[in-house]
Amino acid sequence: MASMTCDGRPTREINAEIKRLLAEGHAEIVVKNPAARHNLAVGVVQPCTLIFEGSVGYYCGGMIDGPHVEIKGSAGWGLAESMMNGRVVVHGNAGNAAAAAIRGGSVIIHGDAAARAGIAIKGGVVLIEGNCGYMAGFMGQKGVLVVCGDAGEAFADSMYETICFVGGRADDLGNDAVVATPTDADVTFLSELMVRHGVKKHVKEFKKIVSGRKLWNFDKREWKTWSEAL
Amino acid sequence: MCGIAGFLDKTRRGSAGATLLKMLTALGCRGPDSAGVAIYGSGAGDVLKLRIKLGERGAFEEKGRKVAEQLRECGMIKESSVTGAYLHALLEPRVSARDVERFIESLAPGLEVVSLGRRLEIVKQVGSPQDLEAAYGISRFRGTHGIGHTRLCTESRVDLSHSQPFWAHGAPDLATAHNGHITNYHTLRRRYEQHGVRFYTENDSEVIGVYLADQCSKGMALEEAMKASLKDLDGSFSYVVATADALGFVKDPFALKPLIVAENDAFVAIATEEIAIRAAFGSEADAREAQARELKLWRA
Repeated sequence: MASMTCDGRPTREINAEIKRLLAEGHAEIVVKNPAARHNLAVGVVQPCTLIFEGSVGYYCGGMIDGPHVEIKGSAGWGLAESMMNGRVVVHGNAGNAAAAAIRGGSVIIHGDAAARAGIAIKGGVVLIEGNCGYMAGFMGQKGVLVVCGDAGEAFADSMYETICFVGGRADDLGNDAVVATPTDADVTFLSELMVRHGVKKHVKEFKKIVSGRKLWNFDKREWKTWSEAL
Repeated sequence: MCGIAGFLDKTRRGSAGATLLKMLTALGCRGPDSAGVAIYGSGAGDVLKLRIKLGERGAFEEKGRKVAEQLRECGMIKESSVTGAYLHALLEPRVSARDVERFIESLAPGLEVVSLGRRLEIVKQVGSPQDLEAAYGISRFRGTHGIGHTRLCTESRVDLSHSQPFWAHGAPDLATAHNGHITNYHTLRRRYEQHGVRFYTENDSEVIGVYLADQCSKGMALEEAMKASLKDLDGSFSYVVATADALGFVKDPFALKPLIVAENDAFVAIATEEIAIRAAFGSEADAREAQARELKLWRA
């Protein structure tokens, strides 16, 4: 295990050092005092473990393919944005647009997520142990978004095939979001997911939210639906 | 862009100046055009603290001395000093804030009351937070709470007057700092101007203080006015607001602008980016992004 500090260093130098340590063959790197710097561990495309001992800023773990990134603090906007594969775990809260447009892997937020969590995801799993803010799951194309706490306003708006589960309140659904009945396979998937990621929040029952598919194809006879959605 | 910050010291050690400087320095990269702070120090009864802009940049001792003399002749002034572009004065409040302001502005061209209140003092200028510290030593400003701003100018002029925080002219001790863009600024401004309100800048952020002061003057509590602003202000905004005994924030309904809140038993810290909170407080206090439509007001 290698260890490095961010003290007094610009982001570019920190990311270069992470890549240098990986090239030297270290599989696990502890990064001390990130102090909420932006763009940390962006574009790392090999399996490894990166542990940030403190909060990170915007786009941490963006575009990664394979690493396990652990953040022992909170994360800023665009956490793990466009991640291909791997796992990003935040012990604190996450800012806006967490896990935006991820294509695979998993993003686990043990605290709350702010607005637009899991926006336009194209695969993968987003698990939020706390609550999420406004417009989570907007335009989700594939993948799964799980919120153990309450969902914010306009939840799951205008989705394609993303499947959402909410453990708490979900009383302000977005356009074309409909409540479905969880299958036995869903229940098994959720309980395994919670155990795997050590989510302590006890959730009795999840509500399943999917797309009503009314917005998938334009039909001028459904003028009212469209004028509301747009 | 732009960076905003708010700090409330629950222990009342009075470290507002030094703390806000650390926070603003961290936010400097978000707003290289200008920097400013509004700090709430100790008051002395009804005595009003004034900060008057003498000119845009540089030293204005001669001009400042003349203005102070004129104020002294009217028997208004208790104490005065000139630092950089500002005349700092303590006044006996025998007339309303608006009348004091009008009188001062009539004394010489280019004068502007930048702040007025029992506790409020605003210092701002073109340049970085470090420049502000070098010119005015803001780290030595004592206070229980305050707000700050680093500006990336997008539309209006880059000068001292257009810098933030803004004092809400006419409402003693009310100050705001804003990150974002108020898109119905011109509509609101026209409406206020028809009612005789004077705007001092072309900066859309100025309207927030005008709006809050107007609502409060109609009998709304500040928190209610902040809530109403979510409906009446359009566009993207995260703003911080402070009075002699309160600090608060508001985030727009679309959550378009960042705002981080961290609170523990010792302090409340609000900042555009967590980087400011970590620079000032290390790993103390968990940070969270404020939600859309969220607002909060703490009593200082």
